[in-house]
Amino acid sequence: MSQHHLEIISINGQASIQDLGRLNAQHLGFSASGAADEFAFLSANKLISEPLMANDISLEQSRCAAIEITLGQISFEAKSACTIAITGADCQAKINHVAIKPWQRFHLQAGDILDLAMPKAGLHSYLAVFGGFTCEPTQQPWLGSYAQTINEMALGFMGEKLTVGSKLFFTPQAKILTEPSENKVDKLLASNTPTALPALFYSQKELTIRMIPSSLFLAMGHKQQQKFLNTEYSVLPDSNRMGYRLSVTHLQKPAATEPLLSRQLRSHCLLSMPVTYGMVQFPENEQPIVLMKERQTMGGYPVLGTIIQTDLFRLSQMRPGEKINFRLIPSEQALQQLTAFYKRFSL
Amino acid sequence: MKNASQSTEILEVHNTEIAIEVVAENALLLSWQAKISLSQHNEIIAFQKIITQQLNALIVESVASYHCLMVYFNLQLTTSAQLIDKIRALAKHQQNNLQNQVKSRDNKPVIKELSQQNDDCINIPVYYDTEQQWDLADVAQRCNMSVDEVIKQHSAQTYHGYALGFTPGFCYLASLPTALHLPRKSSPRLKVPQGAVAIAEQQSAIYPIESPGGWHIIGQTPLPMFSSINGEFNATINVGQNVKFYAITQAEFIALKQGINS
Repeated sequence: MSQHHLEIISINGQASIQDLGRLNAQHLGFSASGAADEFAFLSANKLISEPLMANDISLEQSRCAAIEITLGQISFEAKSACTIAITGADCQAKINHVAIKPWQRFHLQAGDILDLAMPKAGLHSYLAVFGGFTCEPTQQPWLGSYAQTINEMALGFMGEKLTVGSKLFFTPQAKILTEPSENKVDKLLASNTPTALPALFYSQKELTIRMIPSSLFLAMGHKQQQKFLNTEYSVLPDSNRMGYRLSVTHLQKPAATEPLLSRQLRSHCLLSMPVTYGMVQFPENEQPIVLMKERQTMGGYPVLGTIIQTDLFRLSQMRPGEKINFRLIPSEQALQQLTAFYKRFSL
Repeated sequence: MKNASQSTEILEVHNTEIAIEVVAENALLLSWQAKISLSQHNEIIAFQKIITQQLNALIVESVASYHCLMVYFNLQLTTSAQLIDKIRALAKHQQNNLQNQVKSRDNKPVIKELSQQNDDCINIPVYYDTEQQWDLADVAQRCNMSVDEVIKQHSAQTYHGYALGFTPGFCYLASLPTALHLPRKSSPRLKVPQGAVAIAEQQSAIYPIESPGGWHIIGQTPLPMFSSINGEFNATINVGQNVKFYAITQAEFIALKQGINS
């Protein structure tokens, strides 16, 4: 197998290998895991596969594992030539100390150094490579995915936690890609115009996340529903890949009032049940928790509804302190949104 | 609950009502009554089998728990509305079967048949331990009984696997004898050891790997909670299986542990 790899030469944030996750191992207790922001993840792979035209390769590439980098601050040395793309939070990436623009494809030669700084906005950046990354040269996907889940690393099925010295292997690429092309850094610097796509996808200010209401939410009184929907929440610092914790923005916090979720309704929700991506848990303190990619498979809190997936990709890039509010969406519309989203990536 | 009917449909299987709700773009949640009941759980598992067998091409995954079944589907192949129609048809078919059986067999409950399918019982050796400063002594004190009585009660019961989750291979077992019911610890331990046998509320479970956890640890098993061969993961205890615990000595624990490791 291939010994072609990139090596991590410094790391000060968090990084892990991610793809579209292992949705079909939840009955065993495995987190579905996967890329926090599928828009950025799929864009990175699309940037690599787009010029190939060959449909088979581009379709395969969309499922290839990339490196999810949280809050940048990581450097790589290319030990072999490769084609990469960087998307997501803008980490002011540099190749051999020359600034490059994000949401572009680049060709690295052996010995090239890639530096990512702390992004000014957003959280997760994606580094994709032609053929996808693995932790070991002969690594097979575990239950259909290479995604790493922090809580499950101890099982030993998902490779090693990424750190200084970690080697990230990839298959040597097709000849068409290694030939010098217009993708050389120097040329790109002149012609680079960031694609309009990310600017359209991400919210610039406050994010409105759309929620499919649960039967529990619909059983709440109209007044309580409206109050929830009119509340401005902000992201709490202990949010992570497992869940986003939200709190009522401080200024609005009213003096102790009636709870939004009555004791009576809450009493129906005591047993643990399967939970899915985007579910909004509502613990006793009434600070919502939105379940993200690395959620566990079971949950014991009442659930007010489920955030639609395209909004979860946006939410995953929000930082502590940033503002969020909720809006309802019928499940049919949510399905249309997601189907349209995947169509853009030919999935 | 008038509004709720807009998003929730009610089906009937085995003479019980099931609420079916679209909870995500790619997931349906089927809910039975919110209770821990062996017969109800057997119905859930039986219905899960029917759905996954009959709708195999459309369904990506299904996860069962005490009173729910989450069904994940492939949104490129079906919509939630189409899938609900298919599940409704399966439920109707089941219900008809049941009524025919009832007519022909003098009311012999179908539930009995269902529970016979898992008469196998997994026996778990446990070193119930007070020396390591886990929670056995504390549990005995809080339940107002001797340590020996805790061990006796915990190991006398036959448990049923209701759900897998939390971490891979962690199986929620119920029901614990009432005298041992305790709420979860007020603050969870950061490190619960691999193989820890623990209790909380009506449940008992074994921690498959070292992880944080808020349950009361009363012992430890040398038995691994999962195995993997050729990229397949097998939980030692699966949903729907029966489990019993039996006490072993420290020497037996060490010997078994060494036997497993070698």
